[in-house]
Amino acid sequence: MISFDGVRFSYGIKQVLTGVDFSINSHERVAILGESGGGKTTILRLILKLIRPDSGHIIIDGEDITDKTERELSQMRRKFSIVFQEGALFDSLNVKENVAFCLREYTRLSEDEIDSRVRELLRIVGLEEALELMTEELSGGMHRRVAVARSLASSEPKMFLYDEPTSGLDPVNADNICKLILKLSQNGRGFIIVTHKVFDAMKVADRFMFLKDGMIVFDGDREKLVHAPVPEIQLFMAEINPKTEGRTIT
Amino acid sequence: MRKLEEPFPPRCDTIEVPFRHMTVPPDSPIKIIACDDKMNTEKIKEYVNGLQDFYFLSAEGLVGIVKKPFYLKDTVEQMDYAGAGSSLIILLVSLFIGMALSLQLSAELSSLGLKMYTGMIVGISVIREIGPVTAALVFAGRVGAGMASELGSMILGHQVDTLRVFGVDPIKKLVTPRIFSSLVMLPSLTIIGDAVSLLGGYYISVFVSHQSSTFYWSSIRDVLTFENVFAGSIKPFIFGYLIACISCHMGLSTRGGALGLRRSTTRAVVVSMIVVIISDFMMTRILLDVLGFSV
Repeated sequence: MISFDGVRFSYGIKQVLTGVDFSINSHERVAILGESGGGKTTILRLILKLIRPDSGHIIIDGEDITDKTERELSQMRRKFSIVFQEGALFDSLNVKENVAFCLREYTRLSEDEIDSRVRELLRIVGLEEALELMTEELSGGMHRRVAVARSLASSEPKMFLYDEPTSGLDPVNADNICKLILKLSQNGRGFIIVTHKVFDAMKVADRFMFLKDGMIVFDGDREKLVHAPVPEIQLFMAEINPKTEGRTIT
Repeated sequence: MRKLEEPFPPRCDTIEVPFRHMTVPPDSPIKIIACDDKMNTEKIKEYVNGLQDFYFLSAEGLVGIVKKPFYLKDTVEQMDYAGAGSSLIILLVSLFIGMALSLQLSAELSSLGLKMYTGMIVGISVIREIGPVTAALVFAGRVGAGMASELGSMILGHQVDTLRVFGVDPIKKLVTPRIFSSLVMLPSLTIIGDAVSLLGGYYISVFVSHQSSTFYWSSIRDVLTFENVFAGSIKPFIFGYLIACISCHMGLSTRGGALGLRRSTTRAVVVSMIVVIISDFMMTRILLDVLGFSV
């Protein structure tokens, strides 16, 4: 479904992606790991073509989206549901209005129908009681869950994209988010999770990619990840087993 | 502060200098690297792209006023912020400018025996020049900075990306209401500011300079000609449009965290103010020609 072919991207003179190639099917549960600032979020933004690659091709469902206009991309973007880092909720709106945003934009539902749909979505993410709260009153974990509810309201996505969904959260809230991610993927909808928290990635994903120096240097399952002969990956694995201190395999 | 016993960092064998046209002796530790060309090209590209984005945003934002969908709630919110929120500060600034102007003119003109012309000069200055420019500068400082910082923080918080993912045009949703509110509110604020300036001038002329109240108002009435009112009324529309476009563009171009936000907000205010002053001169020149005044 998603295919990257020699994708390069730079911010000004700083080259972030130096040739990324991969293919991901819509039912797959993929984690993209890598250092902070290594270009993980850039990959998600490229999938939705929120930014334009310097070179290479991005193919979604067999269609090359690299040269598509903003209007043409609208349909493609509705196949995905993205939860940005820290939720990206609209500050000026309360929880209900945030979740109802797309329902108001795209549907002709009555206020009662919107209200019941919002309550249903908030129940899915376990936040029905937060309906009237403003975004500044929410904790980090609640932010992400409201963002998930909002993204579910936007469309019936084929695939979810999560940008650092557990960063900055305590273990309990991080675990709740992981459970929610798994719950939403139960009916065959895959996801791509971008994170530097390998512990959380291991909980939810089946396939792992590791981004280093702007390239995918590892692509494999959990077993292969544990024994991957890449020093940086072993440093990441030290999070799971601190005794290894990232030095078991070099 | 470095303690004396701490070792200094090791000396480099070579120093890389990114200037292509610099020459050094062959045995010099300075090594020339040719990265200035790439940096310059990127900067030029960025500048041209920025200019293109600005024109696109200005045109699309304006066309959005008459094109569906209409974001009425956002527009009303922006009008409240730009209009009601700025009224007090503009009233205050206008009042004191009118008073200062009247005081200064009374002092100067009385030495020439022309004190009775204070009202007329205050009227022309306020209606044609000082009123619109003062209101625009205050508007740029308050509303322009607010627009840039709000949009900038939306960019940094990925809220604008979220809008795009949802298929909502950020220019239509964020820029058009701001342009419309500026087009409506700045002229309104200017008219109110002008009136308050004239009242300030009246207070000084009548109660401090002891001039005739009737004569002051009749002088003001004399300068309220179509030419003067037209010249003073057209400017706030142009200023409002320019301030909104510049501030929105700067806000939506924000990159690089809190520092980037500070930079874009500062740039929005500074550029808006400079553009207001320059465009005021240009409009004055054009209006004088159009309205048949000779210089």
